[in-house]
Amino acid sequence: MAQERTDEELLAAYQQGDPGSFEDLLRRHRAPLFTFLLRMLGDRERAEDLAQETFLRIVKGAQAWEHRARFQTWLFTIARNLCVDQSRRDRFRRADSLDAQGPGDEPPMVDSVPGREIDPSRGAESALLRPVLQRALLSLPTEQREVFVLREQAGVPFREIAEMVGVNENTVKSRMRYALEGLRKALAAAGVSEETAAEAPDPGVRLGRA
Amino acid sequence: MTHAESQDLLLDLAYGELDAQRAAEVASHVEGCAECRKEKAALEETRRMAAPLRELEEPSPGFDDRILAAARAQAHLEHEGNVGQVIEVTGSVRPLGLEATRIDAHGPVQSRATRRDRPRWIVRAALGGSVAAAAALALVVSNTLETRRNAEKAKTARSDEYAIRVQTAADSLDGALRDAEVKRDKDRLETMKLEAVPPLPPAALEKEKVAQLSAPAHKPAKKKAGTPGVRIEGGGGDALGKLASRNTQAPARESDADRPAARASTASPSAGATTSGPPAAVVAAPAPAAQAEPRQPKSVAGAPAPSAVEANAQQARHAGNYPLAASLYRNAADLRQRDNDAGGAAWDLAHAVECLSAVGQFDEARRVRDELARLYPSETTALSAARRALREVDPPAAAPVQKNP
Repeated sequence: MAQERTDEELLAAYQQGDPGSFEDLLRRHRAPLFTFLLRMLGDRERAEDLAQETFLRIVKGAQAWEHRARFQTWLFTIARNLCVDQSRRDRFRRADSLDAQGPGDEPPMVDSVPGREIDPSRGAESALLRPVLQRALLSLPTEQREVFVLREQAGVPFREIAEMVGVNENTVKSRMRYALEGLRKALAAAGVSEETAAEAPDPGVRLGRA
Repeated sequence: MTHAESQDLLLDLAYGELDAQRAAEVASHVEGCAECRKEKAALEETRRMAAPLRELEEPSPGFDDRILAAARAQAHLEHEGNVGQVIEVTGSVRPLGLEATRIDAHGPVQSRATRRDRPRWIVRAALGGSVAAAAALALVVSNTLETRRNAEKAKTARSDEYAIRVQTAADSLDGALRDAEVKRDKDRLETMKLEAVPPLPPAALEKEKVAQLSAPAHKPAKKKAGTPGVRIEGGGGDALGKLASRNTQAPARESDADRPAARASTASPSAGATTSGPPAAVVAAPAPAAQAEPRQPKSVAGAPAPSAVEANAQQARHAGNYPLAASLYRNAADLRQRDNDAGGAAWDLAHAVECLSAVGQFDEARRVRDELARLYPSETTALSAARRALREVDPPAAAPVQKNP
C-alpha cells in the first residue's frame, strides 16, 4: 500500500518512472509544506507560489536525487531557500517604500482578513487566535522564525535544521529559545496569555511592535 | 546532570529529541531545580499558546495540477524513451555516404543517466556511412504547430539536410518552471525599479533565468546545452560546420553562453529560422572538432559577464553553499564596479554580507559591509540590507538603518 512506503521509496519508484508515486509524495507533503511557507510568509498566494515552485524543483531534480538525506529535508531545504530569497526581496522593497518602518519586519496583514483562514471544522478559538499568532510569528527575525516553524510545525529535529540552515545545532537551539521568548513577548503585548487564549481573543487585536 | 547541561537540554526534552535515559536525567534535575522548572513551564506554555500554528492548512484546489503534469512529463521523458512524435523524416545525407535512415523516436531510445541536469535523448541512427558523416545529422525539435510549417520548409531543403521533427515533453516541465521564474523575475524587476538600479538588459536577465532554471548548483551552467535536449551522437567531419551553419538556429530564449554547439553557427537563417516558437530548437550534432573547442561561455574569453557570475552566486546560495556564493558575489561586485555600475556592485556586496552572515563568518561579513559603506556610501538601500544581515550580532547602535538619508 502506498501509504506504507517511505518518502524515499516513493521517490525511488518515481525515479523508475512511476508518476503515481510522485502523486503520493505530493499528497503527503503538500499541506505540511504549504503550511510551512504560509507561516514563514504570512501570505497565502506567495506561499502557494513557492510551494509549487518547490515541488517543480523536486520534479526537476528527482533523477539526480540520491538517498543521502531524507526526502523531507530536501523538500524543506528548497522551500526554505526560496523563502529566504523571497523575504530578502520583500525587505528591500519595503526598505524603499513610503511605509518603511525600519529594521523590524512589519508583518503583512493578509491573515487578518476575516474568514480566509477560518476552517469551520476546527475549533473556533484556534481559528480566531491564529491570525494573532501569525502576526506575532512574523514579528520575529527570519532566522528565528524559520527555526521555530521548522521545529514546531514541520517537526524537523534540531540537528537537521542545523544542516538545512547551515549553522551548528547550538545556534539553532539558541535561535529557537529567542523565538519562543520573542513569541511570548509579542503575544503578551497583544494581550494574549494562556487564559485569554482559551477565551478566544478579539481577532482584530493588533500586535504592538515589540 | 549539571544545571548547565539541563538548561541546554530543556528544548530537546520539550521536543522529544532525547532518548529515554537522557530524558529521565533531565527530568529529575528539573524536578529539584526551581530555575529549570520555571524555564520549562514557560517553554511549555508558549508552545501551548502557539499550538494553532501547528495546524495544517491546504493550498487552493488545483494546486497539484501543474506539478503533477510536470511530474508525468518528466517520468515520461525519463523512462519511456518517448520523446514525442516523429512526424516526418526528410532529406538524406546521401552526399556524405549515408543511407537515409528512418529514425523512430518511439523505438528504444537510450537516456544518459550521467547527464542528469536535463533529460537528454540520444537517438541512435543506424548509419551506413562513415562515422564522420553521422555528425552531419541535425535534429529539429519542434512543437506541433511549428512542425507543420517546418515540414514544408524541410521538403524544399537540400538533400544533404537531414531533419527530424520531434515533439518534446520536456517543454511542459520547463514551461512550468519558467512560469514560476518569470513570476519571480517580475518581482525582482519591480524591486530593481524601486531601488533605482538600472535593470539588467533583457538578454542578461534571460541568460540568468536560463542558467538558474536548468543548471543544478553542482554543475557549471555551461554543461547544459540549454536546448530542449535532443542530440544525435556521432563523429563528425568537415560536413558538420557546413551543415550546422545552415541548419542551426537557436530559439530566442536560449543564451549563447549555454549553447556551445551553436557557436559556429549563430548567424545564418535556415530551416530552423522559422521555428520561432519557444519550444523549438535545432541542434547540430557535435563533432570531435566542435568538442575540442573550448566549451566556455563567450564572455569568459574576456571578462565574465557580471550577470552570469551573479547567477552562479545565486545558485550557490540556493544550494546552501554560502561561502562560495559570497565569494562569487564579491567577484561580481568587482565586475560591476569595472562597469561603473555602483548600484549593482553595492547589491552584490550586500548579498555577500548576507551569505557570510548566514554561515557565521561575521568578521568577514563586517569587512565586506565596511567596504560597501566606504565605496558606495550613496547606495543606502544595499547598505541597510548589509547592516540588517548583521544586526543579530552587532549592537543596535552599530547597525543603524538609514531610512531617509
